[in-house]
Amino acid sequence: MPLDRRIVDEFVGVLGAADVLSDPIRTRTYECDGLTGYRVVPELVLLPRTAEAVAGCVKVCARHGVPFVARGAGTGLSGGALPVADGVVIGLNRLNRVLEVDVENRRAVLEPGVTNLEITAAASPFGLYYAPDPSSQQVCTIGGNVAENSGGAHCLKYGFTTNHVLSLEVVLPDGSLVTLGGDSAEQQGPDLRGVFLGSEGTLGITTKITVRLLRTPETMRTLLADFPSVAAGGQVVSDIVSAGIVPAAVEMMDALAIEAAEGATGAGYSLDTPAALVVELDGTAEECDDQFEQVKAICDKHGCTRLHIAGSPEERANIWRGRKAAFAAVGRISPDYIVQDGVVPRTRLSEVLDKIAEMADESGIRVANVFHAGDGNLHPLVLYSEANGEAEQAETLSSRIAELCVEMGGSLSGEHGIGTDKACSMPRMFGEEDLEAFHRVRAAFDPDDICNPGKLFPTPRLCGERPGKYRPHPLEEHGAIERL
Amino acid sequence: MPQQGPSAFDAIRPPERELLDDCVHCGFCLPTCPTYQLWGEEMDSPRGRILLMDLAQKGDIGLDGPFTEHMDNCLGCMACVTACPSGVQYDKLLESVRPQIERNVTRTKSDSLFREAIFALFPYKRRLRAAALPGALYQKLATVPAVRRLAAKLPGRLAAMESLLPPVTLREAFATLPVHTAAIGKRRARVALLSGCVQDVFFHRVNEATVRVLSAEGCDVLVPREQQCCGALEVHAGREESALGRARRTIARFETLDVDAIVTNVAGCGSSMKEYGHLLADDPEWAARAEAFSARVRDVSEVLAELYSRDDDGGPRAPRTPVQGRVAYHDACHLGHAQGVREQPRAVLRTIPEIELVDIAEAALCCGSAGIYNMIMPDAAAELGERKAGKIRDAKPDVVVTANPGCLLQIRKYLGEGAHGPVPLLHPVQLLDASIRGVEVPRS
Amino acid sequence: MTRAAPTTLRPTTPREVRDAVLDTPGRLAVAGAGTAADWAGRLHDIDARLETTGLTGVIAHNPGDMTVSVHAGTPLRDLATEIGTHQQRVALDAARVGRGATVGGLVATADAGPSALVYGSVRDLVIGTTTVLADGTMVRSGGHVIKNVAGYDMAKLLHGSYGTLGVLVEVVLRLHPVPKATATVAVEGPLQAAAEHTARLVQSPLEPIACEWVSGDPGRLLVRLEGGESTLHLRVARLVELLGDGAHEVDESVWDEHAALTAGGPGPGGDGGDTGGPAVAPDGAVLRIGAAPTRLAPLVAELPATAVTAGLGTGVATVTVPGAAVAETHDAVAAAHGTSALRSRSADLDAPAWGPAPSGLPLLKAIKNRLDPDGRLSPGRFDPWM
Repeated sequence: MPLDRRIVDEFVGVLGAADVLSDPIRTRTYECDGLTGYRVVPELVLLPRTAEAVAGCVKVCARHGVPFVARGAGTGLSGGALPVADGVVIGLNRLNRVLEVDVENRRAVLEPGVTNLEITAAASPFGLYYAPDPSSQQVCTIGGNVAENSGGAHCLKYGFTTNHVLSLEVVLPDGSLVTLGGDSAEQQGPDLRGVFLGSEGTLGITTKITVRLLRTPETMRTLLADFPSVAAGGQVVSDIVSAGIVPAAVEMMDALAIEAAEGATGAGYSLDTPAALVVELDGTAEECDDQFEQVKAICDKHGCTRLHIAGSPEERANIWRGRKAAFAAVGRISPDYIVQDGVVPRTRLSEVLDKIAEMADESGIRVANVFHAGDGNLHPLVLYSEANGEAEQAETLSSRIAELCVEMGGSLSGEHGIGTDKACSMPRMFGEEDLEAFHRVRAAFDPDDICNPGKLFPTPRLCGERPGKYRPHPLEEHGAIERL
Repeated sequence: MPQQGPSAFDAIRPPERELLDDCVHCGFCLPTCPTYQLWGEEMDSPRGRILLMDLAQKGDIGLDGPFTEHMDNCLGCMACVTACPSGVQYDKLLESVRPQIERNVTRTKSDSLFREAIFALFPYKRRLRAAALPGALYQKLATVPAVRRLAAKLPGRLAAMESLLPPVTLREAFATLPVHTAAIGKRRARVALLSGCVQDVFFHRVNEATVRVLSAEGCDVLVPREQQCCGALEVHAGREESALGRARRTIARFETLDVDAIVTNVAGCGSSMKEYGHLLADDPEWAARAEAFSARVRDVSEVLAELYSRDDDGGPRAPRTPVQGRVAYHDACHLGHAQGVREQPRAVLRTIPEIELVDIAEAALCCGSAGIYNMIMPDAAAELGERKAGKIRDAKPDVVVTANPGCLLQIRKYLGEGAHGPVPLLHPVQLLDASIRGVEVPRS
Repeated sequence: MTRAAPTTLRPTTPREVRDAVLDTPGRLAVAGAGTAADWAGRLHDIDARLETTGLTGVIAHNPGDMTVSVHAGTPLRDLATEIGTHQQRVALDAARVGRGATVGGLVATADAGPSALVYGSVRDLVIGTTTVLADGTMVRSGGHVIKNVAGYDMAKLLHGSYGTLGVLVEVVLRLHPVPKATATVAVEGPLQAAAEHTARLVQSPLEPIACEWVSGDPGRLLVRLEGGESTLHLRVARLVELLGDGAHEVDESVWDEHAALTAGGPGPGGDGGDTGGPAVAPDGAVLRIGAAPTRLAPLVAELPATAVTAGLGTGVATVTVPGAAVAETHDAVAAAHGTSALRSRSADLDAPAWGPAPSGLPLLKAIKNRLDPDGRLSPGRFDPWM
């Protein structure tokens, strides 16, 4: 049902006609984010240029009960920015200024549309950088990173977006503008900034972000090692951890993923290896060199077939370019794909990969694997062809993989979020009481359910009449945790 | 989404379904897209445009209205092709969509008048020479009907067009290159040079420098007479029929020559000539000839870099004199993105002793010239021009070099004066020529 | 009307916690080991005191995964001993850990120590929680894996909630390896000199783990490094050189003195270490303050502080001021865009626990209203805000 003309006029009154898109062909281009399996055309797309304009738009929404969805670069992989029918999309691309780089206090103040990589670009002349580095960092925005609590390859050592954000200016669903967090880690009362981070756009819209910057490490050592099996690579990771080494990043790719990434970038990965491991250490020169020797020895011990050490910043960049292009590059080996994002305890990596391979064989759908081996975050890429009618099969397999991760004591999502994609699987991970409590938190922020509704929580509309039932968490079955 | 109805495209080379399906909607193209950078709107990004093409192909939307508007907004810089991890061939998609628009969408009166006038002028060396004469453009070209019509209806746009024509001396405008210039010393290659239309009239000095440098580095250089426009501007604007005619004539003119390479010093010409094979793939008479032609096309920097990297008798040959100062190399989109030629021009420039080659921030972003774009979309082009000029100023260059006349004109317009007068804007080969000849670096 | 003396409940399982919350009418104060009992706002009249000290022990620890789940009443000190045998640790060195602070209590009070410079505060180490709400709802959020974005992060809501939003019953923590070697370098000097040293230090590549100025005459800057057995001495030498004249390596016991001073104790040379409860001077009050790092030293310098530990890299300091100066300290911190919270003070001191309310206060009230509509849990902790 189209929006009442008077409501449209109110949005135009706030923004001016040029910043309100209503033509159905134009709004069509906002029908999905990086997850293309779900598409909904919004009634309007609003493109504010200031935080006050964002607040103005949200006030109009609140007044008339119009649902709204915030959108950054639209790169999310869980459908978190999927528009709501009869609702509006609020695009934050035009709030894209780096407002301040405070070198002495090592922080930057940003508008939400600044891309992740632009933060480091602005900070690097001062020997500083922004640590979280999702693979889409050249395009994804800090506002989106805040919504999803994005991680990246280097979060094993440095943590996630939530560990690097000091404060947020937020437009709440009633249109009020508040600041959560402050100038230091010392906060007053409950950490509302922490609750907001990773809430997938369901609690409000970020309009200004202050992030911590880190000093660029003195030394970075990166190696690319081939192994005869994913299990051998996994053993290397275990030994590195046992040695008390915390690498900056440990990434693994299997043969299919390597094929795609190498095809896209020509980064120098071996096309004939079943598994490749990227290990990066950083820190002071003497510590880094010492640990790097240990890592090399561990690789040799587990039958490494080729060890390539990045000899220059360009070579290092090349290795990472290959790894970071892996998702999107899968377009080269498959017309359609779904990226999963489940997490398992790191010690169960080999086990879960074997099971995924079995499930893939059973369903006849190929699965490529790229994963953050250091923290057990898998990115199985379920490859399918919509044209060949494989979509439903692929979605089923994909959901089963996510749920398998939960069964193994892990999580549905390590960094991509629940969004639309995994909302129906939430009852596999959380009980009714948990979800009900989440609802209460949500209602405190958004009593009218207009802020990115339909995401994160299972709804009958999305999941059928009865969302999948809660199954006891395995740790619960073992008596390790208790539920009443 | 399944097919909704008959495709909005006609049957003549519509965008291929497989190429559309390559896009996985990841968005990696967004940051390098000039219009997305300017406006932050999804439908003015490559991802959005591909989505619109997909919808049109599925019969869900028509070609007129927003579809055409957002395709017209595209500069065709192809930065997205470089950025795309999935290998989406946006260049091919755009080149099949633009002729569809030209054939099937009725443009507004003013738009079509303006486009007609542009294409009545630019591909014609004789008219360009006339345009270079002193006096108002209309006075000089009153015999060209398209220009006359534009002057009658929209004198303002004619003036805008004229403001982009560079000052040139009459002697230069009418000068011609020798048909044959022998290699100095032992011959290392034999090449034929496309002298171009705009290039030969307004940047004849670049052509002269090109011939001198190639000869000094051991190339026999042929410059066939009776050359015409290669059709690049028309290819990129979707005026397919006329463009293909020019392609055929250019192929016919060069294919019989016994040369190792067909050389151009214009990024836009090189990129379209390298695509002749694809453009004429459906023409049984010309497909093989076009492919053979395209395979021999090289940018001048590619030829030189190849000579320098040869194992046998390689390396720079002509002695150089040092050039001191900061030289900023601007990647022309049609060289960097469309042809993937980035390293070679830099390698060639580094053969000049003492040169300090500096990078320009946001190198992947278009300067806004983009063929005829700065004439038909002056506002967007101006914003991009200002932005690029700002980044160039930040690099504090003593000289700026780039391998495309459009970029040179656009950057000149927005760069303005430096602390010591205007910063020289040159083609890289001019700098090399000055070094080889031991003369002062030219001012233009 | 006066209330009867509050009863004390000491459940030993999460189920008992829930039963205690459900079966005890009226207002409940939530407490751990009591090491922060007098922090934040004073409790209003309560009907019962719910102590988590009976709810202890490791639930699951898989060394290979570098995570541990514990009952919330487990003293962090005890946990450290247990996992230390695997060369693992919880990278949290809050001053009161040595006095037996519980894991749940550390979370509820948002505590942190000097190594927050690198490892963050306890919020950055918690990866999962189970909480009993005022109506007996038991909420689990997060999980047992380090990387996890599924669902709202209830741990953050409980972090710094001082028992007002729920009772933590289980906490899952991420672990770090115990460093092979640790060293501390000290340089004597006043606060301003220490701030200048810090400015150079944080620009350097030396990766200090902690960087704290402790008050005294003239006070001194303590910088801690962690590294390999055979390599750390090289970095210590670089650090000594960077800090210049007078910098020298000191014994790790300086950090015990630091902890005592942070608790408001008499400081170096005194005996406020791990002798039990906080040892604030009779008329003193301890405040925790935070500000942008470069604003911290000038801010602290203008306070009438009798004892200070200042994280010059983190911007977080703990100061002891005369009881009468609490209000003006809040004001001074607020003027520097900082945050302040009252910690230990004498029982009869009537001073505001918090500075000006944050802009998110209406939101905080709304959350409180949704989770504890009757205001049963730990009433008074956020006086005068709510």
